[in-house]
Amino acid sequence: MIEVSHLVKSYRDLKAVQDISFTVQKGEIFGFLGPNGAGKTTTMRILTGVMPPTSGTARVAGFDVFEQPMEVKRRIGYLPETPPLYPDMTVRAYLRFVAEIKGLAGPARTRDVERVAAQTNCTAYIERVIGNLSKGQRQRVGIAQALLGDPEVLILDEPTSGLDPAQQREVRDLIKGLAGKHTIILSTHILPEVQATCQKVLIISSGRIVANDTLEGLQRAHAGAVTADGQPGPAPSLEEIFLKLTSA
Amino acid sequence: MGNAIAIAKKELNIYFATPIAYVMFMLFVVIGSYFFLRLLGAYELASLQYMRFNAPEMANRLNFQDSIFRNLFGNLGVILIFIVPFLTMRLIAEEKRQKTIELLYTTPITSGSIVWGKYLAALVILFCTLLLTITYPVLIQIVARDQNGVEWRSVLLGYAGLFLMGAAYMALGLFISACTESQVVAALITFVLLLMTWIIGWSAQEAEGWVRELVTYLATVSHLDSFSRGTLELKDVVYFLSIITLGLFATHRAVEAHRWS
Repeated sequence: MIEVSHLVKSYRDLKAVQDISFTVQKGEIFGFLGPNGAGKTTTMRILTGVMPPTSGTARVAGFDVFEQPMEVKRRIGYLPETPPLYPDMTVRAYLRFVAEIKGLAGPARTRDVERVAAQTNCTAYIERVIGNLSKGQRQRVGIAQALLGDPEVLILDEPTSGLDPAQQREVRDLIKGLAGKHTIILSTHILPEVQATCQKVLIISSGRIVANDTLEGLQRAHAGAVTADGQPGPAPSLEEIFLKLTSA
Repeated sequence: MGNAIAIAKKELNIYFATPIAYVMFMLFVVIGSYFFLRLLGAYELASLQYMRFNAPEMANRLNFQDSIFRNLFGNLGVILIFIVPFLTMRLIAEEKRQKTIELLYTTPITSGSIVWGKYLAALVILFCTLLLTITYPVLIQIVARDQNGVEWRSVLLGYAGLFLMGAAYMALGLFISACTESQVVAALITFVLLLMTWIIGWSAQEAEGWVRELVTYLATVSHLDSFSRGTLELKDVVYFLSIITLGLFATHRAVEAHRWS
């Protein structure tokens, strides 16, 4: 569904992303990890067609993000790090606007707005002005916006930041429920969340891939020393693996 | 085009959900009415004097177009210099600052639609602002009844000139807004730019030959004035349309450049 090969992005002297390649299968939830400044957001921005890569290619649903950006954008729902909300609009007006620029019209637009609002639990405050909402509520409006138009691919940059534990679980369940039908790239700093939702994990550090495997694969590869009685060592937590890989 | 209209509707939604539009309308009408009343007073005084000195040929030459509307449109044009920067400053700079521009970049709409949509919204606001002042000629028409009434053709041409000038200012303001993330910077630079297009006309008086002609052509004031005299000339229309085209083209380039940065 998503194929990235030899992606490079540099800003003048700074190399934000250096030769990244990975593929995501249809219906997978793909965990995208790395310390702040590792190049996660840059990679996502390239995938969503915000900006072109310096070199390398990225294909989403068979379309090249550089050659056919419009086809790619029709198939992607994106939640950036900062939810792109207009504080002066009501939630409903905002969602209707996003639906409209995603090409939905008439009753289909109204239906889809209702659907995503219900899915993300925004219905209770749909008539309120976004500027007056709490951070958690805004985050959910941001997720609702990404779901509009039922895109095949969802790219979520830290979807649970700013949410309380109950809301985090809610969003986690929502994302799990979307798997299978949607292909999801999930960037997050909350490692238990990755353990709970993702099938595959990609860890990048300083613009390079340091791990790209399933969770079990990672744990097996980084398992402790074999104990005296021949049993494999204790499986390390994702946190230990993450710290080990990114501190180097 | 549909996408441009969606953007325009969103912009208008924000203009009218926040105080910006209402404050601008009020400022424009308050200052405009002040000028209108001054001009009306001067007209009244002149007609009284002509009657007292028994100068019917002078009184006959007195008309609303030359003594009121031509000056009024000139004054309204100056007010536009002050309010347009505040109307255009947020259009793109705010989206950049709030990072909402990423939403526009990741949905299937072109930079062209973004620019057109924003510009359309600005034109609607401009149209509403000018529409409010149409009460002045309507009032005169009602009071003066039919004797030497309002020359509507000339008045409407004057409004067309004001609209074109405002549209040209809006296009320049939109471009400046696309160049920065700061609304204050956008407003300040736009204001200075618009003021320059106005006051450059003053230096025409000292210049000679082709310099004088060039400066006169560059100044918006001379083009607006030919509209408010009630004449429609191709060169004035071309002048405003070329500024609009230049402004929109530059805005489109700026948005594309921002996408690539």
